[in-house]
Amino acid sequence: MAPSVPSPLVGEGQSEGVSARRASSVLSFLPVLLQQSINGVVLGSLYVLVALGLTLIYGVLLQINFAHADIVTLGAFAAYFFIHSLGGGYLSSIAVAFLVGGALGWLLNAAIFAPLRERGDELRPLIATIGVSVLIENLALAWFGPVPYAFDSPYSGQVIRFAGAFITIQSLLVVVVASATIAALYLFMHATYVGKALRAVAQDRETAGLMGIDPNRLIMLTFVIASALAGMGGAMLGPILVLTPFAGASVIVKAFAIVIIGGFGNMEGTIIAGLFVGLIESFTTQFLDPGLIDIVVFGLLLATLAIRPTGLIAERREENV
Amino acid sequence: MVTILLIAVLPLLFQGTYARSILVVCAINVLIAIGLDIVIGYAGQLNLGQSAFFAIGAYVSTLLVTLAGVDFWIAFLAGTIGAALAGAGLALFAVRLRGHYLAIASMGFAIIVYQILMNWISLTQGPLGIYGIPPPPAWRVPSIGRIDFSDIRNFFWLVAAVAIAAYLLLRNLLRSPVGEALIALREDEVSAASLGIDGARWKIFAFAVAAALAGMAGCFYASFVGTLVPDAFFITESFTVLAMVIVGGAGTLLGPAAGAVLLTVLPELLRGIGDARLVIYGLALTLVVLFMPGGMAQAARLITERAQHRQRRR
Amino acid sequence: MARTIAAALGAAAASAWLAAGPAEAAEKIIKVGALLPLSGPGAYFGAQDKQGIELALERINATGINGTKLEVQYEDSACQPLPATQAAKRLIDEAKPDIIIGEECSDATLAVMPLVAQAHVPLLNAGSSSIKVTDPGNPWTFRIMPNEVMQGEDLAKNAANELHAKTAVVLHENTNAGIGNADIFEKIFTKLGGKVLANIGFGRDVNDFTAIATRVAGLGAVDVVPTYTLEGQGLKITQALAQAGITKGGGGKAIQIATIWLPQSFDPKAGKAAEGYIRIVQFDPNDQRPVVRDFVKAFEAKYREQPTHLNAHAWDQIFLIADVVKRGGHDAQSIRDALAATKGFEGVTGTVTFDEHNQNISMDTVHYVETQPDASWKVLKWN
Repeated sequence: MAPSVPSPLVGEGQSEGVSARRASSVLSFLPVLLQQSINGVVLGSLYVLVALGLTLIYGVLLQINFAHADIVTLGAFAAYFFIHSLGGGYLSSIAVAFLVGGALGWLLNAAIFAPLRERGDELRPLIATIGVSVLIENLALAWFGPVPYAFDSPYSGQVIRFAGAFITIQSLLVVVVASATIAALYLFMHATYVGKALRAVAQDRETAGLMGIDPNRLIMLTFVIASALAGMGGAMLGPILVLTPFAGASVIVKAFAIVIIGGFGNMEGTIIAGLFVGLIESFTTQFLDPGLIDIVVFGLLLATLAIRPTGLIAERREENV
Repeated sequence: MVTILLIAVLPLLFQGTYARSILVVCAINVLIAIGLDIVIGYAGQLNLGQSAFFAIGAYVSTLLVTLAGVDFWIAFLAGTIGAALAGAGLALFAVRLRGHYLAIASMGFAIIVYQILMNWISLTQGPLGIYGIPPPPAWRVPSIGRIDFSDIRNFFWLVAAVAIAAYLLLRNLLRSPVGEALIALREDEVSAASLGIDGARWKIFAFAVAAALAGMAGCFYASFVGTLVPDAFFITESFTVLAMVIVGGAGTLLGPAAGAVLLTVLPELLRGIGDARLVIYGLALTLVVLFMPGGMAQAARLITERAQHRQRRR
Repeated sequence: MARTIAAALGAAAASAWLAAGPAEAAEKIIKVGALLPLSGPGAYFGAQDKQGIELALERINATGINGTKLEVQYEDSACQPLPATQAAKRLIDEAKPDIIIGEECSDATLAVMPLVAQAHVPLLNAGSSSIKVTDPGNPWTFRIMPNEVMQGEDLAKNAANELHAKTAVVLHENTNAGIGNADIFEKIFTKLGGKVLANIGFGRDVNDFTAIATRVAGLGAVDVVPTYTLEGQGLKITQALAQAGITKGGGGKAIQIATIWLPQSFDPKAGKAAEGYIRIVQFDPNDQRPVVRDFVKAFEAKYREQPTHLNAHAWDQIFLIADVVKRGGHDAQSIRDALAATKGFEGVTGTVTFDEHNQNISMDTVHYVETQPDASWKVLKWN
């Protein structure tokens, strides 16, 4: 379906010559391009929040975690009930979701990944997380019911308009929180001893041993951080996505695509790829059809892998710390 | 031989359409699972695209039958070959990618196939669905008479026969040098290459065989259920098949077949429990992986070893 | 005796026979199979159906129907063809029902129809909108809800005649019901001289509708935006269309319109964005007919929430079965025959009269409402 040439503004130029009309239609199209770019960046920021945790876990453990999606869901529900049952504010609910996510990550690692890691198998933890995911989804269905929740943050209704485009404060908040998270994570990884050790483990397990840090503790820490990010992502997503027990599942597939395009385990790559996929989505909606989003995103993924087998931005092997 | 006989009398033991339908679905899932075992258990390639090959078999055969009026068995052949070609195509990625990259790439492939089925409405009907797909035409066998596949027993025997034939064929194949080549590939690609094993060629072979079996299963699925919608081939279907392979015991062929039966029958048995059904299914899957790492195959081996041990002590 | 009298009287109002007196000693059971999506995202339907069924059963079995009680066996059909056919086979083999109700999703309903017909068990459907369920349909399948064509034609005509709409942008989920409804609207609206600027479909996993709203805004002046989605995505679409300044709720000129997908609890959830939304509802909880007041009161007492159209459909299905039993239905065949003869049965969603395809043809099941600034409904007398 091709989009017809847009805009209520075009009407005025119709009596003029063809070239003038074309020029004015291009001009009036600029707000649409600007708007779709904003939409893409907001969506991309949400994806980044979810994908960062996946890439952290992969970097340190070389493991894929399908239950990550359900931590996003549970984070969103934690924030929702903190606001609606305990009377908390939206901003503090983000912190609550962060903590709940972290706790779930600890549980997941202690119960599933730590016992399986001893056996050094890449398949079984993956299946176990699929099992956990089915379990959590259906428990959540039993507890929360299938009717979507209206998770309205006080900021979803407030709209800023400028240059023919608009953004809700909630969306702005998403971008701000995502940027702040990225900055904090970057600082943590590069400026603290533990963070450096984490990066060291991601490159070489033995180096970490030489640094005198118990790798099991580092792995636990990775899980807690990654899951806390997912929980927080849930609280940020809550007011934007459709909050049901299946909420996280709708985001996770794209998060996997992002992690791959960015190069598994590569933080910077994940951030760029996340924004990239967000933009692809909004522009596919504008110029093609929203039904084709997955085909375009995963088509690009396969094309990327056909050209560069380790992702657009290659898996990085940094120099030792 | 005894096993085959046992399988053959199954539909006579279980009365009723429901129980026999479960048998048919078991046989269909066995086909998909043993196929995937070649790729995962033997060649060691993490393939999450099995749902796509299942879909290609189902849609190619059904569209040939309903739109072009082609005979079921020719459509069956086309569906199988179509799936095998798609499998070989995906294998071209497998040749270049490792581990989890392949997992996500194959998942992406499955999602693309699903979305094409959803969006190409003029051909596939998309979510509107295809209905009234006929069962395979009846056979006239001299001295036995008419074998009608709308009779669910006959349908089971047909699918079971194909599944058993595929199983025996694969078992013999894997005991031959082909199996050794695949296992060598799984254990260490570099040393396999030094032994003169062409990794790329064997990967393509494994993917094509796995896809062909899934394609066959898809042909049977469509004519058994009679209704085809893309949702039946969502990516979660790949996870289910993967779970069958792992729960059964990857790399044993018999294990994944048993896993397919177990994971088909279990949710049906749990229907009596009602709403908690999938909670228990998820829990069971997690616990099996945690405490029975080699799957059912390993558990069976342990039990027989213990029994032998006990006998020896006596 | 009582049975023949009831049959002679034809349809009796639900409340009338409730007062018929205590159950007789010799108790007969009519078995009802319920094929409902109880797992996965489709549980949205199944859970609400179950509430309506349970409430109706309590009411009916308190007195019985001339010594007959209803018993319901639930089976999870998961909104998909294979699980639905498996569930139907299990029901038929093990519960041996006299009648089956369900499914919600059109593809699941269409998949089980041949099985149920072959087993000679009537299937009473409420929620599947696909025209194929009753056209050509089969002698064993009945539907009490107006199908996609009835609703779509009516909506398109009213958009053109009552709202004087010239242009439309159609938004729909990529499902059987979504595509079916959208295409019929486009066809009829175009025939009436309207112009459909775009017909945009999206998957059920789309969360952010800002991009779609942006595209709609770029299409120029539009009069009506028919949207076909469930509650979750519906909420996001309505809010996004308002934020982009397209619809009345966001200060724009376009009117969002739709068919029966959303309950009244939707409007407060959507907030100001829903203002001016005009849609067909199957069930209006503010309807002053006694059967509706009775149902709403009982429902609110039991579940402490307002009933939805799904709750109401399930209630009507069970009460229609009770009515059929009262009219002499005692096994699958006689229940089918009595169902086919249903004329003017008064349910909470409207009346039921089946045509030769077993489709309910009463258009009083179609109520138009307009969402007011306080999220209440104003009933539009378009029918």
